[in-house]
Amino acid sequence: MDLSLLSDPVFLLQNLVDGLSRGALYAVYAMGLTLIFGVLDIINLAHAATFMWCAITGWVVMAVFGLPLAGGLLIAMLAGACLCLLLEYVAFRPLRREGADRLSAMISSIGMSLILVSIAEAVFGVETRRFPNSVLSPKPFHLGGVRVSPAQILIMAASVVLMGAMGYFIRRTPMGKAIRAIAADQKAARLLGIHVEAVIAITFITAGALAGAAGILVGLLTNNIVPDMGGQIQLRGLAVVILGGMGNMEGAVLGGLILGVIETFTIAYLPGGSDVKDAVVFLILFLILFVRPNGIMGRRSGERA
Amino acid sequence: MKKGTFLALMALTGASFGSHAAAALPPAIKIGAVESLTGDNASYGIPIRKGIELAVAEINASAMLGKSKIVLTVMDDKADKQEGISVFTKLINEEKVSAIIGPTLSSTAFAADPIAQKAGVPVLGTSTTALGITAMGDYIFRDSLPQAAVIPGTLAKVAAKHNVKKAALLFESTNEYSKSEADVFKSSLQKMGIQLVASESYSKGDSDFRTQLSKLNARKPDILVFCSLIGEAIPVLQQAREVGITQTIVGGNGFNNPNVLKNAKEAAEGLVVGSSWFIESTVPKSRTFVAAFRKKYGSDPDQFAAQGYAGAYIMATAIKNAGSADRAAIRNALARLQNLDTALGTFSFDANRDPQHASVPLIVQNGHYTLFQ
Repeated sequence: MDLSLLSDPVFLLQNLVDGLSRGALYAVYAMGLTLIFGVLDIINLAHAATFMWCAITGWVVMAVFGLPLAGGLLIAMLAGACLCLLLEYVAFRPLRREGADRLSAMISSIGMSLILVSIAEAVFGVETRRFPNSVLSPKPFHLGGVRVSPAQILIMAASVVLMGAMGYFIRRTPMGKAIRAIAADQKAARLLGIHVEAVIAITFITAGALAGAAGILVGLLTNNIVPDMGGQIQLRGLAVVILGGMGNMEGAVLGGLILGVIETFTIAYLPGGSDVKDAVVFLILFLILFVRPNGIMGRRSGERA
Repeated sequence: MKKGTFLALMALTGASFGSHAAAALPPAIKIGAVESLTGDNASYGIPIRKGIELAVAEINASAMLGKSKIVLTVMDDKADKQEGISVFTKLINEEKVSAIIGPTLSSTAFAADPIAQKAGVPVLGTSTTALGITAMGDYIFRDSLPQAAVIPGTLAKVAAKHNVKKAALLFESTNEYSKSEADVFKSSLQKMGIQLVASESYSKGDSDFRTQLSKLNARKPDILVFCSLIGEAIPVLQQAREVGITQTIVGGNGFNNPNVLKNAKEAAEGLVVGSSWFIESTVPKSRTFVAAFRKKYGSDPDQFAAQGYAGAYIMATAIKNAGSADRAAIRNALARLQNLDTALGTFSFDANRDPQHASVPLIVQNGHYTLFQ
């Protein structure tokens, strides 16, 4: 332990800010993943590839065509929605229709993920792309010695706003109720006259738009846009979904923030912390699941979403 | 030792009957070049390829090897160890090359060079700088200055300019080049009596370095040392400025890359790097190289292009001296090479098959690498 740094309150606050923004990034990514899981009980492993395509699309419209951030965000969310809907039609719906089990759906999503990454590599090359400073100023604000960059503020605000919006959408709107009904029991929902396939399509569109937002925000925070960028967030996204309680939107956000803070504190306070961060993160994840097997916000299945 | 004397004698006779020896050369001499041509590290590999191809075109046009021509096969190692191994195997067993130039990264060299060593194929690295590259075997050479030959000089220059008592270090713990460079920096700092107040690492694939950088900065170092390849070098520099690092930053060899300036922009200002070559070098061969490079490609060459260009000439000279396309004969001719005029200056290998010449400290000013004086 680095004791002199432990007693430094500014350093502590700084790490909290960095950890929360890192965690907000995981949270926004995991929301879309957990939504699909909550409704269909499917782990969509093509979510990372969707997210990457959104980041690249955002980069193209902002860095090449010079669109402002809001426009780039909108187009990336639109691209995500389209791509995710395409995944539903190509990779998931045909399998569901044949009554294939959920494992086949997962394998199908792995296949789609590989295809999407290969296409991106062929079209864009494997070089890292970076947003120009004109998209979002990298100059940080200083609050009592603690530095916060515009990208960090944006991503933390976005995670809270998106969490609120998704909570409202799922709990208060008729469509949200339909999504919850399908999550609880697809057959019963169909008998009640809910157009199941349409609602599932809406679910994928929403998840895709979330992936789009995540792609842009991650691109802005790390300034690292490359076809294999999804690989790094894939594992953490899954961990966040499990940590938060599978299918739980608020849980995904809370789980993401916890994971981000733990990871940052491991690097900040453990000697050689960067080398062991994954081990520490997943050890703590294991311990939490030991105490709460359904995740921190988890309920028994059937009450999800 | 006796064998050495015998070889040296053979060398002398070989050199004096150079014209006769050249007659024994086959019409086509196959040389392989293994470079990172896709991905972020292509920004090292592509300039090297351009340098090699320019030199090979000149060599073939000039009848330097009599009626024989160098047939160059360039292959992409994708900066990947497995890919490096398979490309080396293909060049050695299928293409039956006489020698290999490359690979681009030290990490790939550690994986692939042993295959060439085992098969008895001479390898000339033109960008590998890590400790222990040539120690892999007597067929492994390089014309790129090892880290230990560059870093002490660069640090001494910085220390002469600024009052440096404390230094902090950031490196990639999952890359052989970066780890080796960090070790060389550590020992050089120690020898100079500069205290290393903090050392942090990151892993391949990381893209957020703010925590490591604030941790380094909390120790209030006088200089910071970064050992990164280009993919991370750019965000590391940008985020260093974001967390408020205004001190002098010394970059490792990975920062010898025009992409650093293009992408990190103002964050790169004041960056100090140790280089093996400088574009304004007054060495005659360097001037002709810069002019020819600009004419062929319409852009300025960098250090890696110069090392690739010189590398091809070193290889061609060894082939000429050997008077043969035989792998072992080329290896022996390389080992005997002394005082050759190249774009890098007067070039000789030392007993460990590493180059012997001075490094040039550079500093980034107004978006350009300039001499650090």
